[in-house]
Amino acid sequence: MDIIVCIKRVPETAEADLVIDKSKKGIDTDGLVFSINEWDNYAVEAAIQLKEAQGGKITVISVGPEENNEVLRRALAMGADEAIRLTDPAFEGSDATAMAKILAAAIRELPHDLILTGVQADDDGFGAVGVALAQMLDLPYAALVTDINLEGDTMTVHRELEGGLEEVDKLKLPALLTIQTGINEPRYVSIMGIRRVAKKEIAAKGASELALSGNEVGPEGSMSQIEELFFPPVGEGAEIIEGTMDEKAEALVKIIKERGGVA
Amino acid sequence: MEEQQQPLAERLDLFACIQCGKCTGGCPVSIRSPLNIRKVIRESTVREDLHIFFNRLEIWDCTTCSTCAIRCPRGLSPVDAIIGLREMMVEEGKIEKTVIDALDGAYKYGNPWGRAKNKRAEWAQDLDIPNAMEMEPGQVLYFVCCAASYDPRIQVIAKSLVAVLRAAGVSFGILGNKEVCCGSEIRRMGEAGLFEMLMEENMKNFAKIDPGVIVTTSPHCMNALKNDYDGLGCDVKHYSQFVWGLIEEGKLTFDTPVPMKVTYHDPCYLGKQNGVFDEPRDILKSIPGIDFVEFGRCRENSLCCEGGGGRMWMEGTGIGKRLSEVRVEDALEMGVEAIITACPFCLLTLEDAVKTTGNEEKLKVIDLMELASMAIGNSPETENEF
Repeated sequence: MDIIVCIKRVPETAEADLVIDKSKKGIDTDGLVFSINEWDNYAVEAAIQLKEAQGGKITVISVGPEENNEVLRRALAMGADEAIRLTDPAFEGSDATAMAKILAAAIRELPHDLILTGVQADDDGFGAVGVALAQMLDLPYAALVTDINLEGDTMTVHRELEGGLEEVDKLKLPALLTIQTGINEPRYVSIMGIRRVAKKEIAAKGASELALSGNEVGPEGSMSQIEELFFPPVGEGAEIIEGTMDEKAEALVKIIKERGGVA
Repeated sequence: MEEQQQPLAERLDLFACIQCGKCTGGCPVSIRSPLNIRKVIRESTVREDLHIFFNRLEIWDCTTCSTCAIRCPRGLSPVDAIIGLREMMVEEGKIEKTVIDALDGAYKYGNPWGRAKNKRAEWAQDLDIPNAMEMEPGQVLYFVCCAASYDPRIQVIAKSLVAVLRAAGVSFGILGNKEVCCGSEIRRMGEAGLFEMLMEENMKNFAKIDPGVIVTTSPHCMNALKNDYDGLGCDVKHYSQFVWGLIEEGKLTFDTPVPMKVTYHDPCYLGKQNGVFDEPRDILKSIPGIDFVEFGRCRENSLCCEGGGGRMWMEGTGIGKRLSEVRVEDALEMGVEAIITACPFCLLTLEDAVKTTGNEEKLKVIDLMELASMAIGNSPETENEF
């Protein structure tokens, strides 16, 4: 079975003090730590578990500059077999649909039974590349997948819905799944493991090799553009409690009691 | 460090084991955990496939206190077999989520709590401590490390040490945001490659600074720098050793009495593993007003607090009373007002145990430098502690 996993390199923002850059359409990434998009990490693990259970070959693909080799190499250390990086100045400024076009162009040339992506990306949160890609490749798909069971060329998958509901779907391969966090426990990738694959070649492909013209990708080939990025204005209603630890605790208990938090 | 191709038993000379069982007999966690270190050694020598250990969570119960290594009559280091097994599990990625988070944090942010790099020196922002990178060679480098940089309770130790060093007229610098985790716990959780990476990063900075001595907050960092780092080429001291030196040289005296009946808990990495038993006690005894009594289990026989060897990120499989709770109960029986210790992990585990046993009104846990800072006339840093 040929499994393809699309992965993205994103900045970690949970602990960082973010600064919006001069264009007001992005963030200043200086000093930020980058890693594999959290959802994609679960997708890579899901692929490896499928391979461990019934064999096959895993190819990981990422769109972006040379730095993306970090996440591709990490996926190789984790258990993927091949890695491809799609890169071209023309790809810059691509939205989710243009990204899907780039990925689709590469995947069409590769044997594929199953394509996995993360549900969404940590940074832009579109949640669209996976499903757009399925559409372009004319594949059946399921989004928000939390369980995969393969039987021959049929797959039973669970989807996580709102309100605690879980849906079970049957799909025929080839198909595409967008993977939800929590589907598995991604394994740890050790530094020695990464060093072991340090010399493994990562193929890079540009727009011409993918037979993509300039107006199909980048801003021209996109359906939407980012207009502005800003921090929501600070609202009213926050009260900072002052005093010693005991006074603070007392005041806090009083407020919680008044608002009906405790009897 | 070369990649470990050699089988564990050969690499650690485990065939020399005579199965006397002194290791398990002395192992503090064997009281509450299924971990049987003698049996682990035996199995490592006779089993061909060490994957049998992979599902045994108790391998992570070991606190790496090293009592087993001290007691082994054949001079073996059974604790290294545990670390070796953890290394295998790490290589296959089969480790607990909390351990993964700690390792990821150390890799990405240089500290196992995954806190932001640029907030590492925030504790010192009002203290005006010189940047060690701009110091003359041969000076004192204070290696703060992670717990003291990020944990508000442990920051108090760092601030107290700074006050004590200044009272003794010592000029010193810190690495600030350039410092990364010493890697002690990372190595003991089995991530040898990451340990090496952290070591190289710190060594690069040490080489630029060329310090005369490195003083550490934690015995774990002192041990790592001194015994695990390759070719450091400068003296490393835990603060208790350095501060006692200042007292001996007459540079530091304690004028403010601290009337308190206390006992002292030996951190394993300071006492058992590095033989530093007297200096902390000597400091304690030179503080006027201190009424010092020993734990029954002290010095080489001190009971481990269960905070080492990665246990800060693993609760462990042990059942019943935590050893830190046993320690607290022993202290209460002795009628002391406070347990004094000299290690961030000991402080945190013992203080937790005071809370879980409901003895916050009866017993304090105080770091030796907090006490020293009070003895030079400073008021206690933690408003709730005293």
